[in-house]
Amino acid sequence: MMKPSPTVRIVTAAGVVVLLIWSLGPIYWTLASAMTPSADFSARPIHFFPQNFTFDHFLRLLGINVERIGGVLVWQQFRAALFNSVVTSLAATMVCIAISALGGYAFARLDFPGKRVVFLVVVATLAIPGYAVLIPLYRIMIGLNLIDTYLGITLIYVSAYLPLTLWLMRSVFDSLPVALEEAAQLDGAGRLRIFFSIVLPLVGPGLTAAAILTFLGAWGQYLVPLVFSPSATKPLTVLIPEFVTKNFIDYGLITASGTIAITVPALVVIFLNRYLVTGLLAGSVK
Amino acid sequence: MTAAVATRDDTGGRTALRGDAVLGGLMVAPIVVTMIALVIVPLGQTLWDSLHRINPMQPGTPFIGAANYARMFTDADAGRAWTNTLLYVAIAVTVETVMGILAAAVINQVQIGRRWLLAAVILPWALPGVVNSVIWLWIYQPGAGLLNGILTAAGLPFENHVWFNDRTSAILAVAVVHVWRMLPLTVVIVLAAMQSIPGDLYEAARIDGAKRPQMFFAITLPLIRSAVAVAVTNSTVAAFNIFDEPWVLAGASLDTRPILVQIYLETFQNLRFSYGMALSLVLTAASLLVSLVFVLRLYRTTRFE
Repeated sequence: MMKPSPTVRIVTAAGVVVLLIWSLGPIYWTLASAMTPSADFSARPIHFFPQNFTFDHFLRLLGINVERIGGVLVWQQFRAALFNSVVTSLAATMVCIAISALGGYAFARLDFPGKRVVFLVVVATLAIPGYAVLIPLYRIMIGLNLIDTYLGITLIYVSAYLPLTLWLMRSVFDSLPVALEEAAQLDGAGRLRIFFSIVLPLVGPGLTAAAILTFLGAWGQYLVPLVFSPSATKPLTVLIPEFVTKNFIDYGLITASGTIAITVPALVVIFLNRYLVTGLLAGSVK
Repeated sequence: MTAAVATRDDTGGRTALRGDAVLGGLMVAPIVVTMIALVIVPLGQTLWDSLHRINPMQPGTPFIGAANYARMFTDADAGRAWTNTLLYVAIAVTVETVMGILAAAVINQVQIGRRWLLAAVILPWALPGVVNSVIWLWIYQPGAGLLNGILTAAGLPFENHVWFNDRTSAILAVAVVHVWRMLPLTVVIVLAAMQSIPGDLYEAARIDGAKRPQMFFAITLPLIRSAVAVAVTNSTVAAFNIFDEPWVLAGASLDTRPILVQIYLETFQNLRFSYGMALSLVLTAASLLVSLVFVLRLYRTTRFE
C-alpha cells in the first residue's frame, strides 16, 4: 500500500468534512429546529445550536396537552398516517419478498416452459416508470373498489418493486452451489423441502437487501399514494406536505413530523447499511 | 442483462424431475399474475387509450389517432415543462457525476470508519423525497431559513430573500434538493468500481514515478468508466422523473414545473386522461432513449482505448 502524503491527508480530511456537512447538515438542522421554540425561529443573527430546548412541537403533533391546532385534530391525522405508512410498507415488503423468493428460486433452479421469456419480460418492466401505468391502474382500482384501501396500495407497491426483488433473489440463488441441493435430493428430500430447509436459510443477506430496498421505496412513495390513498389510508408522505398551507406554514410541526419520518429510514441505514449497499449495487447494474 | 439471463439453463439437467414444470409454474404464478394484471395490461391500455379521447367530462371515447401526440407541439405549458425537465436533467447529471466521482475518491482514501462515513453519505437517499423537500423548504424559507441566515451572517444582503421569485434561482434551488437525494447512488456505484481496482496498478505507476493526479486520470478514470455509465443512466432516469421536489417546494408554478407535474395536473385536475397518458409515454421513451445514448457512448469510448 502507498503511504499517503501529508497533502493527500489534508485534502481527504477536508473532503470528509465537506461530505459530512453536505449530507448531515440539513438533517441536523431539521432535528435542531424540531426542538426549537417557534418564537426563536426568526432570531437573527442565526443560532446554529438551539438556544432554548422544547418538546412542544412533538407534544402538539402527538396531541399531548393540545387537542386541536388551527381547528384540526392534527394528532389523530398524524397517528393514522404513521400507522398507514408502517402497515403499507411492511405489507408490501413481506408480499414482495415472499413471492420473489419463491419465483427467484424457480427461475434459478427449475425447468419449466417459457422460463426465459417470462423472466425477461418481468425484469424488462424495470425500465417502465410507474406513472406510465398510473392512469389505467387508477381506473382498474376504481372498478375493483380498491381506491383508498390497504389492499389496493399494497398491490401497486408490490407490482412496482417485484421486478427488482426478483432480479436480486434470482442472482442470489444463482450464486449458491448446486451440490448441496443435489446431495439433499439423493437423500430423498423433495424440492419444496430443499427450498425451505436448506436453501432459504442460506439467502438471509440477499433477502435482507431486497427487503430493505422495497421497504425504503414504499416508505418514501408520494405520487402513488397521493392518487391511490387520498384519505383513510393516507401515509406520512402525503400528510406532511399538507402542513404547508398557503397562508401559514407551521414549521415546528413540519420539522417534528419530518424527524419522525426520518427516524425509520435512518435506523435502516445505520444498522443495515452493509446489506443496503449490496442491494443498491445489484439493483443498479441491471 | 441478456448475458446474465443466458447463464444457468441446463444445470438442473441431471436432477430435473418431471414435477419441476408443474412446481416451477406454481412458484412463479403469483409473479406472472401480478405483473400481467398491474403492469402489462395497464401499459397496453395506456398505449391504446393514448390514441383516443378519454375525458370523464366529455361523452364517448372516440379514436383520434395521434392527435394527443400532435397536441404536445402546440401546448405552451407542456413545452415549458419539457424545458424545465431538461434543465433538471442537465444540472443533475453533471453535478451528480462530477461530485459523485470526487466524493467516491475521497471515501476510497479513508481507512478508518469508512462504513460510517458511507452510511452518513447514503442517508439523504434513503429518506422520502417529500421529507427531503420539506427539509429544504425550511432551509430556503425567506425570513427564518438557514440559507439566508448563513448568507446574512456572512455579511451578504440576503435578509428575507425569496429564492422562488426568480426562475433561475428557483430551478437551481429545486435541482440542489434533487442532487442531495440522488448523489449517494452515484457515490455507491462509483466507489464499488474504485474498490475493485487492483492495488498493484497504483504500485506499478508509483514505481514509474507517476503523481497522484496522473494516476487518477490514467488508471482510476478509465477503469470506472462502465460504472460511471451505469450511474449516469440512473441519474438521467431519476431527473426525468422528478416530481416530489418541485411539487412540494413550488407547487404548480410554471417556473419550476417538470413534465411529471404537468402530467399530474393534466390528468387529475383537467381530467384529460388520454393526453396525460400520451405525455407519460413520451416521457418514458425520452428517458430510456437518453440513457441508452449515454451507455452506448461510454461503452464505445472504453472499447476504443
